[in-house]
Amino acid sequence: MPFLPVFLPTDVLFWFLIAGVAGYAAYCLRRPHLALPWRRVFRSGVALACAVILAVFTLAALLDSVHFRPRLPAEGSGGPAYSAEVLSLLDLALSGIRGKNERTYSAPLATRLYAKEVVEVREGPDAGKQVREYPRLRYGGAHLASEQDWVGDVFARVGAGLVAACVAAALLGLAVRRLRRRAPDVPWKAGGAALLALLVLALPIAFLAPYYHVLGTDKVGQDVLYLALKSVRVSLIIGTLTTLVLLPIAIALGLMAGYFRGWVDDAIQYVYTTLNSIPGVLLIAAFVLMLQVFLERHSEWFYTAAERADARLLVLCVVLGITSWTGLARLLRGEALKLSQLDFVQAAHAFGVPDRRILSRHLLPNVAHIVIISVVMDFSGLVLAEAVLSYVGVGVDPATTSFGTMINAARLEMGREPIVWWSLAAAFVFMFVLVLAANLFADAVRDGFDPRVRVGGAPA
Amino acid sequence: MLAYIVRRALYAIPILVGVNIITFALFFLVNTPDDMARMQLGTKRVTPEAIEKWKAERGLDKPLFVNRGAVGWEKLTDTVFFQKSIRLFAFDFGFAEDQRDIANEIRTRMWPSLALALPVFALGLLVNITFAMILAFFRATYLDFWGVTLCVAMMSVSGLFYIIGGQYLFSKVWHLFPISGFIGGGSAGKFVFLPVVIGVVGGFGASARLYRTLFLEEMSRDYVRTARAKGLGEAVVLFRHVLRNALIPILTGVVVVIPSLFLGSLISESFFGIPGLGSYTIDAIQAQDFAVVRAMVFIGSVLYIVGLLLTDISYTVVDPRIRLE
Amino acid sequence: MSAVLQAQELRTVLDTTAGALRAVDGVNFELLEGECFALVGESGCGKSMTALSVMRLLPEAAHVASGEVRLDGTDLLALPEAAMRAVRGRRIAMIFQEPGTALNPVLTVGKQIVEVLDRHLPQPKAVQQRKAIELLRAVGIPEPERRFDEYPFQLSGGQKQRVMIAAALAVDPEVLIADEPTTALDVTIQAQILELLRRLQRERRMALLLITHDLGIVAQMADRVAVMYAGEIVELANREAFFRAPQHPYSRKLFAALPSRQHAGELAVIPGQVPSLTRRFVQCRFVERCDFAFDRCRAEAPRLYEPVPGQRARCFLREKDAAGPLVSSVSQGAAESKRTDAGKLLLKVDELKVHFPIRRGILKRTIGYVRAVDGVSLELHEGRTLALVGESGCGKTTTGKAILQLIRPSAGKVVFDERDIGSLPGAQLRPFRSAMQIVFQDPYASLDPRMRVADILLEGMRSLGVGRDDAERLDRLAALLENVGLPPDSLQRYPHEFSGGQRQRIAIARALAVEPRLIVCDEPTSALDVSVQAQILNLLRSLQRRLGIAYLFITHNIAVVDYVAHEVAVMREGRIVERGSTDEVLRSPKHAYTKTLLAAVPVVPAAGLAS
Repeated sequence: MPFLPVFLPTDVLFWFLIAGVAGYAAYCLRRPHLALPWRRVFRSGVALACAVILAVFTLAALLDSVHFRPRLPAEGSGGPAYSAEVLSLLDLALSGIRGKNERTYSAPLATRLYAKEVVEVREGPDAGKQVREYPRLRYGGAHLASEQDWVGDVFARVGAGLVAACVAAALLGLAVRRLRRRAPDVPWKAGGAALLALLVLALPIAFLAPYYHVLGTDKVGQDVLYLALKSVRVSLIIGTLTTLVLLPIAIALGLMAGYFRGWVDDAIQYVYTTLNSIPGVLLIAAFVLMLQVFLERHSEWFYTAAERADARLLVLCVVLGITSWTGLARLLRGEALKLSQLDFVQAAHAFGVPDRRILSRHLLPNVAHIVIISVVMDFSGLVLAEAVLSYVGVGVDPATTSFGTMINAARLEMGREPIVWWSLAAAFVFMFVLVLAANLFADAVRDGFDPRVRVGGAPA
Repeated sequence: MLAYIVRRALYAIPILVGVNIITFALFFLVNTPDDMARMQLGTKRVTPEAIEKWKAERGLDKPLFVNRGAVGWEKLTDTVFFQKSIRLFAFDFGFAEDQRDIANEIRTRMWPSLALALPVFALGLLVNITFAMILAFFRATYLDFWGVTLCVAMMSVSGLFYIIGGQYLFSKVWHLFPISGFIGGGSAGKFVFLPVVIGVVGGFGASARLYRTLFLEEMSRDYVRTARAKGLGEAVVLFRHVLRNALIPILTGVVVVIPSLFLGSLISESFFGIPGLGSYTIDAIQAQDFAVVRAMVFIGSVLYIVGLLLTDISYTVVDPRIRLE
Repeated sequence: MSAVLQAQELRTVLDTTAGALRAVDGVNFELLEGECFALVGESGCGKSMTALSVMRLLPEAAHVASGEVRLDGTDLLALPEAAMRAVRGRRIAMIFQEPGTALNPVLTVGKQIVEVLDRHLPQPKAVQQRKAIELLRAVGIPEPERRFDEYPFQLSGGQKQRVMIAAALAVDPEVLIADEPTTALDVTIQAQILELLRRLQRERRMALLLITHDLGIVAQMADRVAVMYAGEIVELANREAFFRAPQHPYSRKLFAALPSRQHAGELAVIPGQVPSLTRRFVQCRFVERCDFAFDRCRAEAPRLYEPVPGQRARCFLREKDAAGPLVSSVSQGAAESKRTDAGKLLLKVDELKVHFPIRRGILKRTIGYVRAVDGVSLELHEGRTLALVGESGCGKTTTGKAILQLIRPSAGKVVFDERDIGSLPGAQLRPFRSAMQIVFQDPYASLDPRMRVADILLEGMRSLGVGRDDAERLDRLAALLENVGLPPDSLQRYPHEFSGGQRQRIAIARALAVEPRLIVCDEPTSALDVSVQAQILNLLRSLQRRLGIAYLFITHNIAVVDYVAHEVAVMREGRIVERGSTDEVLRSPKHAYTKTLLAAVPVVPAAGLAS
């Protein structure tokens, strides 16, 4: 085999989660009363546009969640040897910019390094002399015969990108028109516009990226665009896997507390008041620190650095999940208290339906909308939390590329004159777009699911 | 009322015991004291004697939960868990890794923390409620729409960016405020101004939007219709009728954090070099100083429980229907 | 007498996801000086929307599309909002259905009255306070000085409505709009509030626009009546004329659907449903439900005709001649009346008590008990109906649930079919679960909105092992649906697709599915309109006749009792105060409370139901 597949735990869980979401969607589609709120959500243009943007981010994360170790060129005897470096499909797709490392910082689209270095003059009359100057980059703009061609070259490539975007726009327009005819309720135009906006940004960048560092390079010369794209996966994993840990705890404890009342309620309330009383960051920090020590003691469990970093990411998700289920649990407890007094639950009691079935058949489906709303609302908070935790030093592994580590590294260079702004700006823009899209989508989901804003209702 | 307060105070005991069990389990069960010693002392060149010495210095040389060697009650009391927990209850936090008295540190550091956190809290509350009321007053207009959009956009920006951007603009480019540092007394304002503004801005989006929702929810109630039927103007309805009712849910989230203001804010204190409890905590986390982390966890819990009690009491002030029993 | 308030071609539109809903569609009426004008109709007919349009207090999704509302000649709809505010509360005041939520919970009663004075008649504080206390006294609040500083939660429901009235009348408005002012109140309190309104209206020569669904209240209060249906006024008349001979087929049906003793036979029902108001009408709006509809009704919308001077009806039949006085659809034969033969004793309740502990203090010690049910004894024979009557909070629902063991009784015996089930542990109760079932009041809360009707109906059968397998059960369900009058395709649908009356049929079917011998009916028709109530009552009676089921019928509605029950038990404060056959208790009550209760019920004059 030309490669050795690597199944990182977060990969598996992430794919599992995506499959779960797809399964849920299929389940909903066949049930009109479950599909109805979603239909309301996607009747909003903003929601559809945000969903498109989130889908693009998700696609990047999914590509980045198929890992393998490429086979090394055979050397001597023995079985096939595989590289210790773990790559993902996204790395393959980005092979044009991956690994083209400069020596250190360089500004976006620059052809020269950001810091002066002593270099030997190769040509001209001063050949052989040593000069301090901004050296040419190894890859950025290296194809240019003369740096004077820079402006023309950049414009030509951007222009080519925009032409490609126009072609894409035309195709998109046709698709939107056809979709509108099929489902006139859905604001396809907004979705198409969002996709188009992404293409108008992405295509010129795609044309530039193989020849320039579009967003510059960081301290060790890595392409910032590549880093930003790699960070997406960490954000999405933290935003979604955490809920996977949190949901079972919150649902089980919240519903049980509200339904059984009495000592069960007392005990569960005690647990979540206790957990709540510990300041959030401290609890997370304590958890992460201790598990970190634990992982370090058992470093023999991991073959590659990627696996160790991944274990730490998973630990972070688990810790965030364990420390943040209380809010949802309290919400569900309140709802279960209300629901268990409703007549349909009383009717089930009158039929002698066992508690287990009442919980699963009556209570759970009737709180599902709260769970869905809370999952999408939590997502953006978790993405933002990752950055803060990485700053505190209890976030992802320092070797993992994430928005938090990018900001952290960039922050240390604040003192430089002139300032190194591009890493920060890249992290800012990527995070802002991701979180804003998530927030707006969450709003639309809440509006679609929350019965309070429903107008009309059942026929009288 | 008094009986209620006493009962809540008594309820604090099992919660604090629970907090202790959680932190204890985290710190001493996931990793044994020996592991900790090895990590602190470095894995190489570590002798069993050095480990024993390290443990003895920190009182970790006893059994964790049950001391089989002791007699009577000492089976339970002469253990790491009991010794460490009972001290916390007496607010005796021991010493940090740098041999400083933690309690003493906390006493001196809480004032700079408060100097930053209190204005952020009070000013933030004022700004958010005012803004939310304006949006509620102009509900379903363009002002409302763009106001909400602004809130959503602002809550989509990581707090780190507010700090970095603020420091860059106000301190580096415009030289209006010192980038970081803190001097107590009268000149504290100069150092605290920028972090306070940034703190308020950072918390603005999410809170203002939430409060707007609460206001709108109140405005859909029957008594608002009654007030309008009396011929009252919209402003009177908002200030006399809606505001006090909307304050009830707002209080739930707000009062509980008041005592915790002493703990300061982790991020902005460390960015702005303010020697408060927030930066103390961050330093402790980064230096993996567990004695400090445990002390802060304990104090945090105590303050949270006080906050819960304050919340209940504040309800009785705002809501005449609630009498504490 | 001149008109104070006139509505002309009033149209109000409500924006819904289904499109623009014309809630009020061309309403004309005038309110004369000092009269009480009643706007009557079933839920959704547009009567409240009409009132809110007059006040310009519509919810945000609604707006007045066209028309005029003239107060002494000024068009209120054309006024700027600031000028309208000076009218609201000053010249037109309004009180609402739910006194519990219509008062601001965090302001004192006094403040809420004073603010009206302050808004419209600014005076020194002390004068205002004195005036407010006088008002409280005038509306019959005891110890007004003390109540002035109390909060709404410290008052009873009736007192809250009195406070609302005091605030509304503070500055002597010319018009008072009362939107279902007593619907949320108990019948004895209702009588007091209606009496108060009548007295105040007479004293102040104020015009009263009374909105209600209750023909009994109309008979008691109104000078003139307008019946609304589907956004239109379909009949407009003086009270006497209206109750003697209603002219519109819909009005006549409403009378025929009222349960009472005179109606020994089936109640008249109005088939079908109110048409959706999102559609445009070229035809008569009542045509699909009318017994007399003919071709013209389908092609053309009628206007208001005036067959008798002063009495108008929106019906082509009334273009030329008037309808005669109403004649009750008297008994359609013995088979249709109440089942009379009594079987053997099915249920015997002996000294049943349900006490809820009150916990206080540091350790939450029990310091006392709420005696929700305090020594209730009942007997019910097979195939008979026992009505348990009482006002809210008297413990009648708790009694019903305690009999079913949904709440475990604190003391006393519940003997069902000669077995004391009160002492049985949970598992041994199962055989009795299928024998005793319950139908609840609120048709919206009693069906799980996330389950299909089939699953709702199967749940009990599966749990209690009725039927061998699902195939057999589904067979039975088909028959059952027909029994309760639901279309066979109902099984695959969800509750929200059904109307209130249909949901109640589903709830009845759910109870019947496990073949019970006793059904506890807990206010099964209280949330329903009169015409739908008639359908459900008819259904319950016919099921009893065919299947011999016994009902424990919990209700506060005396008219319903008269129609369905063989025996009555009157409950008050957890105890039964009087028990006996329906005739005995309702015709010659012994206990003082029963007498008060019966006296408080607003009666539709016998002329209206003349036999």
